[in-house]
Amino acid sequence: MAVTFPPDPSTEARGALPGLPDPVPVAVHLRAPHRSGIEERFAATDQPAGHDLARHPRVARLLRSRKFQFLLILPNQVIFWLVIFLGLLGTVVPGLNFGNAITWYIWFCLVFVMIAVVGRAWCSMCPFGGFGEWVQRRALWQRTQRALGLGKKLPEPVARYGLLASVGSFIVLTWIEEFFDIAGPGKPMATSFMVLGIVSTALVFFLVFERRTFCRYVCPLSALIGSLGAMGSAAGFRTRDRQVCLSCETKDCMRGGEEGYGCPWYTWPGSADSNLTCGLCSECYKACPSDNVGLFVQRPLTSVVAPSRRRADVAWSVALLWGLVVFQQVNATSPYATLDGWLTRMTGIAYPNPIDYLGIIIAVAAIFAGVAWGMSRLLGKDLARWHQPSALSSSFVDRQSRFRSFFVPLAYGVVPVVAADYLARQLPKFFKHASRIVPSIGAWFGAGSTHSSLYDLRLLSNPSIVAVQVGVIAAGTLAALWTTWRISGREIAPVATRPLAARLASVAVVVVLGGVAGWLYVLMHAAS
Amino acid sequence: MTITDPATLAGAGDAPGARAAEHPHVLVLADRCAGCQECVVRCPTAALDLDPSTWTAVADDAACVGCRQCVRTCPFGAIVVEGPALVAPRQPTVGVQPAGLDHDRSETRRGLAGWAEALAEASRCLGCPDPTCVRGCPTHNDIPSFVAAISRGDLDQAHRVLRRTSWLPDICSRVCDQALQCEGACTWSLEGGTPVAIGALERFVADNAPVPPIEVTSDDGRGLSVAVVGSGPAGLAAASELASHGASVTLYERDHDCGGLLRWGIPDFTLPDVVARRPGEALAAAGVRIELDHEVTPAGLDRLADEHDAVVVAVGASQPLRAPLPGAELEGVWDATRFLTAAHAAIAAGDPLPGLAAREPREPREPGSGQPSASGRATAERPPTVLVLGAGNTAMDVARSARRLGAEAICVDWMDRRFAPVRPDELDEAAAEGVEVRFSTTVVGLEGTDGHVGRALLARTEQKSADRRPRVLGGEPTVQPVDLVVMAMGYRIEPEVARAAGGVPLTKQVAGLPERRWLASGILAEPAPAFARHQPVGRLALGREQARVAAGLPRRERVWFVGDALVGPSTVVEAMAQGQQAARAILHHRPRRSLDPAPGADPERSAGPRAGLGDPGGPLADGSARPRHVLVAFSSRGGTTAALARQVGTILSGRGAEVSVLPVERVGPAQLAWADHLVVATWVEGLVVGRVGPARAARRWMSALPELAGMPVTLLCTYAFSPAGTLGEMSRLVGARGGKVVASAAISRRRRSSERAAELALLSAPALAG
Repeated sequence: MAVTFPPDPSTEARGALPGLPDPVPVAVHLRAPHRSGIEERFAATDQPAGHDLARHPRVARLLRSRKFQFLLILPNQVIFWLVIFLGLLGTVVPGLNFGNAITWYIWFCLVFVMIAVVGRAWCSMCPFGGFGEWVQRRALWQRTQRALGLGKKLPEPVARYGLLASVGSFIVLTWIEEFFDIAGPGKPMATSFMVLGIVSTALVFFLVFERRTFCRYVCPLSALIGSLGAMGSAAGFRTRDRQVCLSCETKDCMRGGEEGYGCPWYTWPGSADSNLTCGLCSECYKACPSDNVGLFVQRPLTSVVAPSRRRADVAWSVALLWGLVVFQQVNATSPYATLDGWLTRMTGIAYPNPIDYLGIIIAVAAIFAGVAWGMSRLLGKDLARWHQPSALSSSFVDRQSRFRSFFVPLAYGVVPVVAADYLARQLPKFFKHASRIVPSIGAWFGAGSTHSSLYDLRLLSNPSIVAVQVGVIAAGTLAALWTTWRISGREIAPVATRPLAARLASVAVVVVLGGVAGWLYVLMHAAS
Repeated sequence: MTITDPATLAGAGDAPGARAAEHPHVLVLADRCAGCQECVVRCPTAALDLDPSTWTAVADDAACVGCRQCVRTCPFGAIVVEGPALVAPRQPTVGVQPAGLDHDRSETRRGLAGWAEALAEASRCLGCPDPTCVRGCPTHNDIPSFVAAISRGDLDQAHRVLRRTSWLPDICSRVCDQALQCEGACTWSLEGGTPVAIGALERFVADNAPVPPIEVTSDDGRGLSVAVVGSGPAGLAAASELASHGASVTLYERDHDCGGLLRWGIPDFTLPDVVARRPGEALAAAGVRIELDHEVTPAGLDRLADEHDAVVVAVGASQPLRAPLPGAELEGVWDATRFLTAAHAAIAAGDPLPGLAAREPREPREPGSGQPSASGRATAERPPTVLVLGAGNTAMDVARSARRLGAEAICVDWMDRRFAPVRPDELDEAAAEGVEVRFSTTVVGLEGTDGHVGRALLARTEQKSADRRPRVLGGEPTVQPVDLVVMAMGYRIEPEVARAAGGVPLTKQVAGLPERRWLASGILAEPAPAFARHQPVGRLALGREQARVAAGLPRRERVWFVGDALVGPSTVVEAMAQGQQAARAILHHRPRRSLDPAPGADPERSAGPRAGLGDPGGPLADGSARPRHVLVAFSSRGGTTAALARQVGTILSGRGAEVSVLPVERVGPAQLAWADHLVVATWVEGLVVGRVGPARAARRWMSALPELAGMPVTLLCTYAFSPAGTLGEMSRLVGARGGKVVASAAISRRRRSSERAAELALLSAPALAG
């Protein structure tokens, strides 16, 4: 006689639940899912079983716990509500206010370290989305069945552009931050209002839309973390056996099960081939009835190099984000000050004038895209498939063209150097002022002061900081050279008339990018 | 599905102008599509496929018919379909207005006129891979298959398909409210259009090819003696199912006709007598012993259980609800059962209903006081007036029967018309026959002279929303002269029956997360379809399914309650489905009567062990031993208890049992209905100084168990330091649900595996007993 429990001792399969004869399945004749080529399709991105952290019983127990993410979010929730309250009620000395200190000297730098090393680690502990999610679910950690809010889907005209709305919100938020000198840091109150604004916006989105629509599409950091976090070593939650996922009749990881919610990030472990949209929330792990989801780690840069699906929204995000960080470097130089001053006199809008702000961002992105366009014209094959209606009419994200066949892989290839640029940009504040966190905490009790030795303690001198920045850029450039060489060899060369020239041109772009970024840090240092 | 060419559908759609000659356009949101293929596997026309390069769905607009099954089933809402639904108009099945109502027994609803209409209607069916209509049907008829058989012109095959799940296709097709069941759940209905006329097609099959007789198709029930109490739809279905598996069935019916509610409760103009009689005649032809005029009271169930291996109680919910009105005790105030029974007989015999002869002109009276009006004048001779309290389906039957007996009929219902649960088609039919229906009206008192009701005092009511109770408005009541008042406000289970069953009626409310296969099918998608009167068909169907599954569990040892006796007043098809489910449970468990041979009893029949479900002793017809079905439910934290549970499962399996080992969260009524024996294993929660006992999850699960009706249970716990009172608490919890603890053990986690195995082997022995 058969025992119907599954062979794997760690799992009890849902499919074989006993019961009296059920007439429904007799009438169900689902079509067979597409399975051919599946091994090859995911061969490069699937991680070996040994990379599955959830194989370790303690990690598994942690991930199984519904309080896991709550406990990740809670400390940050406390900190950011302190930021809000202390910004409004605490000391007005910018460097001594805890809100300013923790936000701009510590947090913003840590976020970029996490992006480069892990991926979306911040998303798993983010207090902004976390707060909205608690309200939306009417629970801090429990699995509830009735959501609060309207549960709408993000309108298709916005959603079809993927991460671009998030890039837009990051550009707007950065302009606000520059305009009000929030991250300077300026008045602590400004930081309070900024954080409060993000929390409120997130809450509104969580109450109007379903799941983590805010995090996936609108959050200012989402595109940044998602695209640049591809460098990170967290592959995210992925299937252990794709055939099990394809045979699954319930897709609890997507729709929600008894123990876990459906993926808040619209990601299916069964098809995830990068860490782009895995928020590391572990809901799929909890919901899966077949214990077929694992938490995988990967070698750095895997999610940059390995995925075979290249998304145009990611490519444009990288280009625009690079434009933004270039602006943040250029704005410290005197030619920019001259230009912005002139525009301020002409338009009456003070630094940063939106014209030069957006102009520089768009120009950098356009130059990057223009280079890719030029390469495609000079070196690209004019394949018949670029002109087929299906290629032209399909989605913005996946549409194919001669230009895209160069631009999109190239944008993926430069991810490390752009990420390095962002990280390097945050380093001065950390190295110059991180120690202020101690007197800022003391200030709660009236003990902290600008006279404290820690207030002016610098971890590194200015020249050292520039050296570190250039070093970071160099490391990012080297990584980008490797990724671009690999990606161009696999994706650009086959569509190029002269494959080697195309690959060399691709890495040349990286060299130029890295050179410009490093040179700008030297210029910034000279200007300051 | 044959109709996909939009050119043939120009202007032929459900909504004028909405069905232009254009194809739907399917937009797959590539950013959100995860390539899970839920849409691909369910698309009825294979319009969706997977693009392996991007691993996202791609659509072929030319193949799309706009049913939007993909939209409803996509877990991430990544598909948008624009444009019309390409489906031909539904074949009309309008009612027939009788030429004269007087004692008319002809059916007022007609089926499809002929093969041409049937084929046209059948061609509207998409044959969905995951047919939501099947889930919407309470008995889960394989609708696409029987419709396909019609399309092939093979009515015998259609009957064979229907027979798998329905014993009453001729009846269900006439009396079901398909709008809230299969048709409401049809993909075209969920899409917002008009569904396939499934009921009419089923009736076409039943009307054009005789319903097959009951044939013994297996020996699963051979040697079993089963009593079925009540010959309504639930009893008929249980008896038919059991008889078709070779069981010896005795059907007890307190009336002198077989059919129960089908005979007296549904008038001939809806369900002709010849159709209602058919199932009883089929049972008799199949050799089922039918004891008419034989009432079995709840007190007599034990005796019946002693005489039979299993008992199915299908006595319905026959206690009418009566409004506590002043004057309700007057003569001429009837309940619906009394009226319908009398009316059925009177119409059949061509007689007037006693007490409903034409009346003398009535003297007008002052409202409220009942005194003769000073200004009023006597009216001309008039027909008698029947006032029906309620405007549900039973009330409509009463009123329409009254019209056939020459009376004026007025229905009053205190609900707002928008929220009343009456079928619109029945309301229209009643109105066409001259029934006056007054919603937002209630009776606040009855008055009469000489002890006979003569006037009803009516007041207006207001109901603001469906979930709010109507409120009686102030003001002077109006006086309605009446000759007969019939209370048709519903029924409930007889209190004695409810006591005997314990915990009935079961609720059909769906709490928590719906079953995920149902969720995946798209039947639960919102908004609720207009064709289903904006009712949530998916949730309604799930609630019915909950009750159907529960019908597989006995309420007492070897006694199953089904139909209205289990869930309160419901529908014919639900009762039938539950009767079948109970019969399948009996065939699965093969319960046997007492081991102690009663004097004069057949010794072979009494060879089984004592007790019921859990100790089935009946060998299979071929003489082979029937396998035990053992369910091991565990709650484990670190894996120790899970490992032990599996070890128990392996031991039992090695000894010939069919075993299922599941965490408690996945054990529900369906799994319990399968099990002959239950093993509950849990880890011991709490520290030495804290509350030591079964794990919280296990405790919660045991507290929420359904009635176990004497099911033998083995208890097992694993502990680190001390089990303290864990086994005692488990025993108490299981005992409170009717389980019979036959063995228990507390096993230390530190015990060596060889010792543990020996202990588990010992512990497993009772699970194999019998």
